[in-house]
Amino acid sequence: MRKNLFAAFLAALAALFVAWLPAPADSVTWTAIRDARIVTVSGPVIEKGTVLIRNGVIAAVGAQVDVPASAWVIDGSGLTVYPGLIDALSSWGLPQAAQAQQQAAARGAQPPQQPLQPQQPQQPQQQPQTRSWGPQDRPGTLSWVRAADQVQPSDPRLGQARNAGFTTAVVFPRQGIVAGHGAVVNLGGKTAGEMVVTPDAGLYLALRPSGYTGFPSTPMGIMAYFRQLWLDAEHYRQALALYASDPVNYPRPAYDRAVEGILGAKRVLLPAEGPVQMERMLKLAADLKTPAVLYGVVRGYEMAQRLKEAGTPAILNVRWPARDRDADPEQEESYRELLIRDLAPTSPAALSAAGVRWAVSSEGMDTPRAVLRALKQSIDRGLKREDALRALTLNAAEIFGVADRLGSIERGKIANLVVATGDLFDDSTRVRMVFIDGVRYLPEPELPTPPAGAPGRGPTSEEGEEQ
Amino acid sequence: MRKMRLILSLALCAAAWGGEKDSFLLRNATIHPVSGPAIQNASLLVIDGKIAEIGPKVAPRGKVKVIDARGLHVYPGLIDSGSPVGLAEIASIRETVDTGEIGDFNPQLRALIAINPSSEHIPVVRANGITTVLVTPGTTGGARGSTSGGLIAGQASLVHLDGWTWEEMEIRRGAAMQMTWPVIQTGRGGGPDLEGLIPGLAPRRVTFAEARRNQQMQVQKIQDFFDAARRYQKAKAAGEAIAPDLRYEAMIPVLDGRLPLMITAAREREIREALEFAARERVRVVLAGVRRPGKTLDEIAKRNIPVVLGTPFVTPLEEDDAYDEPFTLAAQLHKAGVKFCFASFNVQFARNLPFQAGQAAAFGLPYDEALKSVTLNAAEIWGVADQYGSIDKGKYADLIVTDGDPLEIRTQIRMMFIKGVPVDLESKHTRLYRRYMARP
Repeated sequence: MRKNLFAAFLAALAALFVAWLPAPADSVTWTAIRDARIVTVSGPVIEKGTVLIRNGVIAAVGAQVDVPASAWVIDGSGLTVYPGLIDALSSWGLPQAAQAQQQAAARGAQPPQQPLQPQQPQQPQQQPQTRSWGPQDRPGTLSWVRAADQVQPSDPRLGQARNAGFTTAVVFPRQGIVAGHGAVVNLGGKTAGEMVVTPDAGLYLALRPSGYTGFPSTPMGIMAYFRQLWLDAEHYRQALALYASDPVNYPRPAYDRAVEGILGAKRVLLPAEGPVQMERMLKLAADLKTPAVLYGVVRGYEMAQRLKEAGTPAILNVRWPARDRDADPEQEESYRELLIRDLAPTSPAALSAAGVRWAVSSEGMDTPRAVLRALKQSIDRGLKREDALRALTLNAAEIFGVADRLGSIERGKIANLVVATGDLFDDSTRVRMVFIDGVRYLPEPELPTPPAGAPGRGPTSEEGEEQ
Repeated sequence: MRKMRLILSLALCAAAWGGEKDSFLLRNATIHPVSGPAIQNASLLVIDGKIAEIGPKVAPRGKVKVIDARGLHVYPGLIDSGSPVGLAEIASIRETVDTGEIGDFNPQLRALIAINPSSEHIPVVRANGITTVLVTPGTTGGARGSTSGGLIAGQASLVHLDGWTWEEMEIRRGAAMQMTWPVIQTGRGGGPDLEGLIPGLAPRRVTFAEARRNQQMQVQKIQDFFDAARRYQKAKAAGEAIAPDLRYEAMIPVLDGRLPLMITAAREREIREALEFAARERVRVVLAGVRRPGKTLDEIAKRNIPVVLGTPFVTPLEEDDAYDEPFTLAAQLHKAGVKFCFASFNVQFARNLPFQAGQAAAFGLPYDEALKSVTLNAAEIWGVADQYGSIDKGKYADLIVTDGDPLEIRTQIRMMFIKGVPVDLESKHTRLYRRYMARP
């Protein structure tokens, strides 16, 4: 039956490879996945049940669901339905470095660097930067930039992400040290606007010194700058309120887009690779009076207890540290390095055991599928499969305040689903299709993987040396 | 002040006896010949700058001055087996630094000629008992690689730390040919990258393959240079007409095995390659700046290759090395049967040479070996043991008279003789000391 339907569908769409169901404006479109194993994440697994989608939203889920006669029914027998996976810190769907830099052309902006995105080509500096001398120059501050405004539905990486089961990514701008606001973005849609689930996922802060090109050139200076910026924002807010209440006696504060952007921040994303950085960042977050999410976490196994106490969620970097691909064969590796390399994959289990809310980032991974393989390593080191799945779905949704719409298979949530042939973390499992906003996407041909010569040590900070 | 008085009395003695300037009789001292056990209450007769007699009772010959050294100790003058002292005065003032010439191969250059006999550093170095230095061109030693002075920087010269001119300082103008084995430099490693701090200043990262290729090209350059020198040598021996070339000319003693090739190589890989090269070229080799010999240690011992050790007052090379790895290196070499001496590879801190040996003695090196490593071993390695390095009849009287063990920091050097001539122990340090002590 499914085959017939599919054939008709293909004919109707003139052999389009990626298919979706065109929904006429006023009609209700029903889709049902029947007789599938349903992993709801928020509740118990339904061994054989149905998910009913109405106009892109989950209308019902359960063992017994009444399916309207007009519904397009997919036979799910032998298949498993998961909530769509969420990449909690991503660049999928954002323009590649060059365009981002043009937008970043701002007073006192830091030298453009994209150190966390090895997939992207190194770009030479676009224009000479004016040197910044202090917080008043708002160095590297692009707090008015919103990732939601930069989303590109044509990004070829979206298809690759969907192939691996990702339906959503939380994307952030990356220029400067106050990089701008992230957005929760569905990885499919006709327009950029359709893709955005929420445009204010949080403000991305980086601890990237200017390299002696201006203030701040040390982590110390950067953190002092963040504090000043937040103080300025609070001052600005109060000045605006006073002016509004009494424009005769209070001056009109000068518009400052840098602090305007700060005032709108629901949360800040702060980098913390290990325990030392974590302590710094927790202190900073308290001073900024803004909820924090730590990203770039590698040594989570040492941070779990403290994160639990602080109630701070973490986004794990699952590019597990590995020996440099072109390391000197005679170079002895230090015990410290080997220890981190060995224990980093145990971070997920440690965080889950401590009850820390954690999610996963695709940063530095060659392919989206590699994220799942990395978590499989953690599963082999004691992580429960359901915890791994939760990190990729509901945890991420909760961290970014979209758990009412994403992250599990429940009535009322956005119909972002993955239909796979088995357990997501098994190597033999194939993703048959994903649904994003109820629209079905079939697997796309894989892009060639990036060459093996990519830097093996993760983040690098080279500036464009080649032409 | 006491030192001053001693020297004064020495001068008075000399005046009173009116004897030769380089002849004297030293009495009632404990003599440490280094070549043998210490002799208590002994006398030492020096005639015309050479040691004439050692023994419990020595009669003065003619009108030589007599020095009473009751309670004092006599040692041979210490030898620093590598230092650019005299070549560099103030590191940050380019005009005062003459350590090296530009270019990869400069074997024709001799360090001796560039030495400034009036360097302020020389009296400071003497103050701790160092009478003799192998002045090395072109490199400050250690694991600096080939960046500091080419591959063959020139000839190291063995000199006395006293003389009005460099000619007067000379012991051996060509004591070793100075060479640095190329290092594979990737610009990585080193300390932990502090969150990628200061990206602008980070050295350009080179892949290992690229770095290895660069290194291999440098090794090839060395090989080509040796081959060319070898052809020159053969052509010359065969009496063929050949355009004279000072560089190849200077290489002939190296190729003949008369002049040792002093190769700076810190780590196992460089040492291994240098040893293979030396075996292939059949040259005499001295390894310098050795830090982590690893598995090459046995071969160094087996082939009787002498080693010049740098200062142990450094941090270990690898993060996981024991904290005392630099301190125990000498003991490790001794245990393996390697002959070694110490070098400061430094100008300002060359005076700390005796304490380098002292530190090694504190960390497992037998004391006698530690003392030898700054005296007799060095003289043997540089081929002057027939004249220097110990207190033996017939050798030159390079002596220090101390109030204790010279490897001990608290010990004061009371007198110094170079070829039997008393040497002033005043230095910039003692002048400043007096000046500030006199401050009201």
